[in-house]
Amino acid sequence: MVSPEGTSMGELTFAKVDDIVLDTLGPPERGYWLAVALLFCGILIGAACWVYQVFAGIGVAGMNIPVAWGTYRVNFLFWIGIAFSGTLISAILRLVRSDWRTPVARAAETMTVFAVCTAGLFPFIQLGRVWLAFYLLPFPNERTLWPNFRSPLMFDLLAVGTYLMVSSLFWYTGMLPDLATVRDRAAGVRKKIFSLISLGWTGSHTHWRHATRVYLLVAALAIPLVISVHGGVSRDFALAIVPGWHPMLFDPCFMAGAILSGLAMVLILTIPLRRLFHCESLIPRQVLENVIRAVAVIGLIMGFFYAREFFISGYGRNPMAAKMLRWRLFGDYRDEFFIMMFCNVMLPLLFFSKRVRTRLPWVMVIAICVDIGMWFDRFVVLVMGAGRGFLPHAWGLFSPTRVEMGITFGGFCLFFFLYLLFAKHLPSISMTEMKETLHQGGPHAE
Amino acid sequence: MPNETLVTGLFSDERRAASAIRALRAKNRWPIRNVHTPIPSHKIAEAMSVKKGRVGWCTLAGGILGFFFGFALAVFTASRWRLVVGGKPLIVLAPFFITGFEFAILFAVFGNILGLVGLGRLPDYGGLIHHDPHCTGDRFGVVVSCPGNQRESLAAFFRDQGAEVAARPLFNLES
Repeated sequence: MVSPEGTSMGELTFAKVDDIVLDTLGPPERGYWLAVALLFCGILIGAACWVYQVFAGIGVAGMNIPVAWGTYRVNFLFWIGIAFSGTLISAILRLVRSDWRTPVARAAETMTVFAVCTAGLFPFIQLGRVWLAFYLLPFPNERTLWPNFRSPLMFDLLAVGTYLMVSSLFWYTGMLPDLATVRDRAAGVRKKIFSLISLGWTGSHTHWRHATRVYLLVAALAIPLVISVHGGVSRDFALAIVPGWHPMLFDPCFMAGAILSGLAMVLILTIPLRRLFHCESLIPRQVLENVIRAVAVIGLIMGFFYAREFFISGYGRNPMAAKMLRWRLFGDYRDEFFIMMFCNVMLPLLFFSKRVRTRLPWVMVIAICVDIGMWFDRFVVLVMGAGRGFLPHAWGLFSPTRVEMGITFGGFCLFFFLYLLFAKHLPSISMTEMKETLHQGGPHAE
Repeated sequence: MPNETLVTGLFSDERRAASAIRALRAKNRWPIRNVHTPIPSHKIAEAMSVKKGRVGWCTLAGGILGFFFGFALAVFTASRWRLVVGGKPLIVLAPFFITGFEFAILFAVFGNILGLVGLGRLPDYGGLIHHDPHCTGDRFGVVVSCPGNQRESLAAFFRDQGAEVAARPLFNLES
């Protein structure tokens, strides 16, 4: 495996891997703090909008009857989708022993944790009266009513809560050996903090004996969980008898979309990280190319799902489905629909060209467009479905208000803020797994 | 054993570390206290005759417990308000199975982590005093105890096997 920058994986040693990754934890430059400060301002804008909504009431958002789920639900779906791909890369590819995942696995796992955290905020924001959120817990209210576990919304709450805890534990247990490596090379307060959070890890044979099994088992358990999370999210729609929400293929369609957006986000996070932290030798272009190829293939799969829906709507004898198709193509949200089609199906096709694939600035732009397209995919599914019931009394339109846009902006800022803090304070590439990969490839010691 | 000390042999190569472990076990003169490695090593595990970890049983127990807990929670909450709506039964298998499944995964992972904490004896801050920092980097450390007067011969053994002998940690267990 040779990176175009001239450093081959074979030239790396255990010590070099440590040096490169630990260098990323050095004192940050002024530009880093500027980026952190800007993102924090973005979070404050989102928080201010939310506080305003709490005091003024949920009416300041554009949600209405029949479109009772608006931007907040779109954001929730989008961020849960981003989280899906992290588990795909870190768990599924680990179980099938694909070594190319190693350099981007930690970035993907971290992305999962922060994306679930961001997603988890939106149901609370959407509640309006957030102080009543405890009604969702298995806890009887004053009328001795308990939560209804037959509701897909409860499946969703359980699945997302479980996913947050499992992905966080998966991330942390995988990082323990790396935390110990940082501890052993740190001094002062940093050493104390890393000593505490590395739980006294020494890499003894007892530790490895259990930790490798634990990591493997959590990876195996995360796969059915992540499928159930996305299945649960898609059933929020598919179990409702609404013309745009009832297709039987919602589960795989949602999953394909989630993988597409998550892989694009991995590229968005990894390409600048690689450049800013000088990790070109640890994250060779070949690894990025594998992710890019995966985006291209999943884009085709998304194209298939869209085409299948058009075919069934156009060819079938369901007048509501045909009307829905016409509304999508020529109706009020046609712009959003075409942005979705262009970004999710057309743009990823460019990745089949080697010329595009090997130019990272182009890759970055396309990856951003793919994620924008996937946000619009969620918007189109949700708003167009809710806005067209069987009868005209259940027809309506939705447009996000400034409050919703502010909160959405704050959500994006929060995700990148957390990721930026992580990248400078914790090892953003798994040193242990890189060493394992090198070890399988040949001699490492200097 | 009076005046016992610990000597750590630091190997740059897992094969040499595994070979030294086998030689030490064959000699049966100095007991191996621990082996610290930067990566999981099958060769060293084989040389140490380490058996497969039993953490999977904790996972299984957690999963079974979680499934029944989740299912029972759904049944319990449904039966608190005995109002039949739309002719649908109060206790239904399909949705309650989903609740059971989610709790099964959650508790299985909790069992897994508790297994690591219990069987792997974590947190183990006390173990750090016998730990050489190179062993989280690029060295495979074999920690062996010996009487104080045999320290030099143990160090010579390690050097013969191709190891560096750590100046630290050399602790007197009685101190």
